[in-house]
Amino acid sequence: MSEGTAPNAAPVPTGAVPRRRHRQGRAVPYLLILPAFLLAALIILWPLATITNISLHDVNRFGQLRGFSGMANFSELWRDPDFIATLWRTLIWTVGVVGGTLILSVPIALVLNRDFHGRALARVIIMLPWSVSVTMTAVVWRWALNGESGMLNSALRAGGVTDTNIVWLASAATAFPIQIGIGILVSIPFTVTVFLAGLSSVPEDIYEAASLEGASDWQQLRTITLPMLRPFITLAVVLNVIYVFNSFPIIWVLTQGGPANTTDILVTYLYKLAFRFGQMGQAAGVSIIMFAILMAFTLLYVRLVAKNEAQS
Amino acid sequence: MSLKMRRTIIAWALMGPVAVVILFPFAVMLITALKPADEVLEPHWWPRNPQWSNFVAMWKATNFGPALINSLLVSGISTLLAVAVSVPAAYALARMPFRGKGAFRQFLLISQMLSPIVLVLGLFQLVVTLGLLDSKLSIILVYAAFAIAFATWLLQSYFTTIPRDLEEAAWIEGASRATAIRTVFLPLALPAVAVTCIFTFVQAWNEFVLALTLLRSQESYTLPIQIFSLVAGRYTIEWNYVMAAALVATVPVAIVFAVMQRHLVRGLASGAVK
Repeated sequence: MSEGTAPNAAPVPTGAVPRRRHRQGRAVPYLLILPAFLLAALIILWPLATITNISLHDVNRFGQLRGFSGMANFSELWRDPDFIATLWRTLIWTVGVVGGTLILSVPIALVLNRDFHGRALARVIIMLPWSVSVTMTAVVWRWALNGESGMLNSALRAGGVTDTNIVWLASAATAFPIQIGIGILVSIPFTVTVFLAGLSSVPEDIYEAASLEGASDWQQLRTITLPMLRPFITLAVVLNVIYVFNSFPIIWVLTQGGPANTTDILVTYLYKLAFRFGQMGQAAGVSIIMFAILMAFTLLYVRLVAKNEAQS
Repeated sequence: MSLKMRRTIIAWALMGPVAVVILFPFAVMLITALKPADEVLEPHWWPRNPQWSNFVAMWKATNFGPALINSLLVSGISTLLAVAVSVPAAYALARMPFRGKGAFRQFLLISQMLSPIVLVLGLFQLVVTLGLLDSKLSIILVYAAFAIAFATWLLQSYFTTIPRDLEEAAWIEGASRATAIRTVFLPLALPAVAVTCIFTFVQAWNEFVLALTLLRSQESYTLPIQIFSLVAGRYTIEWNYVMAAALVATVPVAIVFAVMQRHLVRGLASGAVK
């Protein structure tokens, strides 16, 4: 985000303007940001404060506070084996989806960046999942994965891959990898877009110069394209991690975290604690832990960006 | 064989499998939507007897109309609200020096990082306190609030590319700041406002978890929740109607995206580069 013009930006030619108007002018930026700030603060800071408060109290299932309990909610979570397993699974989920998305998106962006017959069509197809709500995608896959009459089994049987029906969603061993796969699929469009933006910033003549010097395609990719793409890869990783870490519909629609909590991630476990089991205190605890993880991750990113900017 | 031809073959060889996986759910939607009720559970691919009338029957069977109107209302009003408060904020960030600018940016970054699901418990209590549970107003306010950070960021990075001289020229001509904004700045900013509106609208159109939590009765359900409710916890699911509903809910947005794709990508790219 550029602030390049800020230091010398006297927005009003001061000499020509009477003093009173100048002083009024000082309040203007605050009045302009006020509505956005008030709305966002009410909807974001107020609930954050409520959750912090709940997490430190003993609460009944209707959310009424029954006395300060310090860290009791957190230590309760720490002793809960489901929570610990969910914490690990969230790590696998986030790393799996973001990693898989990167591995597929870099080559896709490289291919889409070069001219070929049908490129416009290929672009539209790659961007298509972006326009569909993740909930709808998940509903469709739930049907496609249906054990007895799902169309994935029909297609696989017709293709000779298998001759028995696979009940995909009945156990975590098949359900969770599929959920990661769907997560990758819906993350590709955004990631490819970011990479295409990055590739369009690489000037053509660098490649021409490199070809003249006799660099092979592979050398050009390794020494020019990938280094130029690096800030965009960082950006895509950070935004995807935040997004995937918080992603709810794929897992909720396909398995609701089941069978027996074996496909839960933090967000679905949080939802169950709050609205199924009525464990408001522990649910608030999970929220605070998620907030801390996201905060730590964002700070890491901000420092990384600051370091990169200092280098360049 | 020309170079371009060779590149085409390699490109489609790589793209082919990805394209198949992406298009598979669309094929599933369309094919299932066309199957008559007695064929839905049979494991063959193509409907022997395609029923286009499913789309008409679905409308009543899935309560599609009211959910569609709810979705349009909620997404439209929350987009207007979010853009109405984000444009001035983005203008201040892009054009005016003021103390606390950095702090406001950080506040936006944090609100971008927190997704509604992390705050769902607190949001639920807030909405109950305000007496808005099961009211569409609750999700309109929440959607608008969560859209502010992204909208402001996208708008301000575009606003900084609009030359300042044009407005200054208008001031010299004697126009007030407000007039200069209205007659010079806003017309130039319109494309960015349009791109922001589309992203905000689609975000609200597709939102799931808040609608699931804050809307309690079928009269106020938006499309994603309505369709989910046809699938969740039911013994008999009329998959052909569900798929027809999913298709009808999806296609308009997909067309807008396909047509607008280049503009959207460019709008996002100009923001991402900053």
